[in-house]
Amino acid sequence: MSVSRRAFLKQSLGASALVATGASVPAFLAGTAVSAHAEPPKEEDTILVVVQLAGGNDGLNTVVPYADALYAKNRPTLRLPAGALHKIDSHLGFHPQMRAFHRLYQEGLLSVVQGVGYPNPNQNHPEAMRAWQTAETKTAEAQTGWLGRAADQLYRPTSGRVPAAYIGHIPPPFAVNAEKAIVPWVRSLDQYAWRGDAPARARADAATPGADSRRTQPDRGNALLQFVEKTSVTAYASSKHVEVAARAGAASADYPNFQFAALLRMIAQLIRAQVGIRIFYTELGGNEPGGFDTHAGQALNHGALLEQLSESIAAFVRDLKRDNSLDRVMLMTFSEFGRTVLENGRRGTDHGAAQPLFVVGGKARGGLVGRHPPLDDLDGVGLRAHTDFRRVYATILDRWLHIDSRAILGEGFSHVDLLQA
Amino acid sequence: MFSDTEVQRPSGRHTPPPGPDWAWAAYHPDTERPWDLRLAGHLYRRAGFGATWDQLQQALRDGPARTVERLLRPQGDVAGFNRTYDEYEGAIDPGSESTEGVRRWWLRRMIETPHPLLEKMTLFWHDHFAISPARPTNGAAFGQHVQLLRAHALGSFSEMLDGVAYDPAMLMALDGASNRKTRLSLPFARAFLEELTVGPEQFSEGDVRDVARAFTGVFVLRSRLRLVDREHDDGPKRIFGREGPWTGHDAVKIVLAQPAAASLLVGKLYRWLVSETEPPSEALIAPLAASFAKDYDIAKLVGTVLRSNQFFSAAAYRQRMKSPVEYALGIVRPMEGVVNTEALGNDLANMGQELCHPPTIKGWAGGRTWITDSTLIRRNNLAWALLSGSEPYGGQLDPRGVARKHGHSSTEKTSRFFRELYLQDDLGPAARQRLIGLLSGGESGRGDPVKFSRQLAHAVVTLPEFQLA
Repeated sequence: MSVSRRAFLKQSLGASALVATGASVPAFLAGTAVSAHAEPPKEEDTILVVVQLAGGNDGLNTVVPYADALYAKNRPTLRLPAGALHKIDSHLGFHPQMRAFHRLYQEGLLSVVQGVGYPNPNQNHPEAMRAWQTAETKTAEAQTGWLGRAADQLYRPTSGRVPAAYIGHIPPPFAVNAEKAIVPWVRSLDQYAWRGDAPARARADAATPGADSRRTQPDRGNALLQFVEKTSVTAYASSKHVEVAARAGAASADYPNFQFAALLRMIAQLIRAQVGIRIFYTELGGNEPGGFDTHAGQALNHGALLEQLSESIAAFVRDLKRDNSLDRVMLMTFSEFGRTVLENGRRGTDHGAAQPLFVVGGKARGGLVGRHPPLDDLDGVGLRAHTDFRRVYATILDRWLHIDSRAILGEGFSHVDLLQA
Repeated sequence: MFSDTEVQRPSGRHTPPPGPDWAWAAYHPDTERPWDLRLAGHLYRRAGFGATWDQLQQALRDGPARTVERLLRPQGDVAGFNRTYDEYEGAIDPGSESTEGVRRWWLRRMIETPHPLLEKMTLFWHDHFAISPARPTNGAAFGQHVQLLRAHALGSFSEMLDGVAYDPAMLMALDGASNRKTRLSLPFARAFLEELTVGPEQFSEGDVRDVARAFTGVFVLRSRLRLVDREHDDGPKRIFGREGPWTGHDAVKIVLAQPAAASLLVGKLYRWLVSETEPPSEALIAPLAASFAKDYDIAKLVGTVLRSNQFFSAAAYRQRMKSPVEYALGIVRPMEGVVNTEALGNDLANMGQELCHPPTIKGWAGGRTWITDSTLIRRNNLAWALLSGSEPYGGQLDPRGVARKHGHSSTEKTSRFFRELYLQDDLGPAARQRLIGLLSGGESGRGDPVKFSRQLAHAVVTLPEFQLA
């Protein structure tokens, strides 16, 4: 069952005062008339969703250069038959289990950014992951993640809201480590539920909004206290907005039955709840043995993960389309590295270099961005990157989140053509 | 030394801001600023994690001077208590990479300690030396780091800094675990100057290099300190203009002779003990910094601040936001119970304060950053979990039992008791009316006094006033 945007708004805004919507309210709110109106989203309140693929994704078997003879030569057992691929053009095709991505691609909602990496790529999992998460490729000294820094830029202490959230089951990745903003780790929307029974009298008061007008008077000039009072109201409102949003939108049945799909559904619900989160971070693969780190017997595992990735993201896109939020949302994937071009004799691949990234959204340019890296000019054992990942970050920071990328990345990077003009 | 100074006390509330002499002279109660429950609660929030009812009552009887003295030097076997806990921590698997065990015991110590100010200051130093074992390290090394901070938390800052500069956990976290003549560890030296002592823009690149050179030969191998003589550069160095064949120990002394170091530390301590809303003027800090620079005696500095007019003035009262640790323990300690600190450590991390993992070397940003919609929901839910007897905290806190122990059984009296215990009944008229309103017509109150006590206590600790320290 799904509820239309219209019905959702009606449900969310129907009550004139929040306090009248709940069965019980916290004592500090009793009798206070609080608007239930979530601020309608502004066009510039764009949202970024970053999906981390843990383990090092084999890009070569994700976006496959089937027409290149060197592909088949390097992949004696792992090569995917051209006939099973979802063809992009006469040279490239998506992995057979990525039908959903192919459809998004055909609809112009998905960009494939090819050959992404950085100079002197690191092939150690934690170090390479740290490079991507901090956007610092030369040293490991960065104290914050690139999205943590972005969150600090977006964060307004007076707003009482957080601009970023991590949604996942493994501990929060360093990418969201911030100096100031406390980025919540959300494992379940239950964490937004407001617990505690207010004693009965508070409920009675609640039925008469505005009964306690004294509450609206400033409280003896302590600005810190006023800030907490205001944020307490915001917090209660956020709790209620999430509760309503959790009932609206696509039902779990509209998402495939993957843990990753459930995380994306939670993100869609939080987007719908309009609680001010602009940056979502989530991950696939970190919670299962190996994840994308397919050193042996790669084919089955890798195919299953790619299917989870593409089917779940496609369901997320359908969900967002329902209430026209897809144009406000941009999703990007990355992994810490690609894999070796040559398979390793154990029907697997080892740590490589460049990889393709996916960018999905209503305002994504769609199509291929950059050429497929040549298979006869490698960077060590992996594909050679021609696009520094920080160019992708800079594009998204400047043109999508409207944050000065120099402040986040420490230097300027030329943009990549992956968003609509 | 400040308490002996004869000073002019401002005559009325609306006089211009009094100067540093008045600010740091000892507060003496008078009719205008009487010693009352409010100020006793304030003192216990800042110098500890909140007070039990008996502590508040004793403070009222004793007055501020004796109460501060007891907080600084409590009776009871503090050393024995801490030895016991050190032994508990010693049982943490030395191979464990996690700091969860350290965190669990530390929170337990904060709840049960006979010397809350010592733990409060250990937390302060953890926020100052804000390292996080993000790189390969182990839980045991981090446990020793916290024990080192505790050993000096109210002692000598020079000794603490000297210990920390050679502390394996510190060196590993700041990339100083392999400092060779030919390959200097500059990150450690830079953090040492910029974050831990003199502060940004107070040193040159030459100072960074020569502090790093002074610490050459310092290594950490298998989480243990190793001093390797042949890797020590014993040539002449120049640190803040002083030349000599300095070692790391010398560097500590030279750096602490810089007035900027004492100023930075006193400024941080002011924010910690007095106020986060108004940064202190240089003039206000100057006399404390000058005195601290002479001996780096932490207990003396803390004592001066806690006894002062400034500390008991409107410039300090409710001018700090409780951190998650202060919020949670402020619920637990007055309830005279112990809770599951493994669960508590996780809940606090979810509110932005993961002990043993400050976000950056700058420590927790604090102040308003603690409070967002998300963290307030989690504070509310933690308060409910602690007070309602629900999992994972079980029925370890017993609001009804504590109220009865102190002679309150009726709902009216219980309600007033919780207001006084947690907030010294210092509430706006609206908030007080509302809490009183909870009593009339509450069916739940008549039905189940135990449950009603839990609801009342929860209603008090979720008032905005309770978020302030």
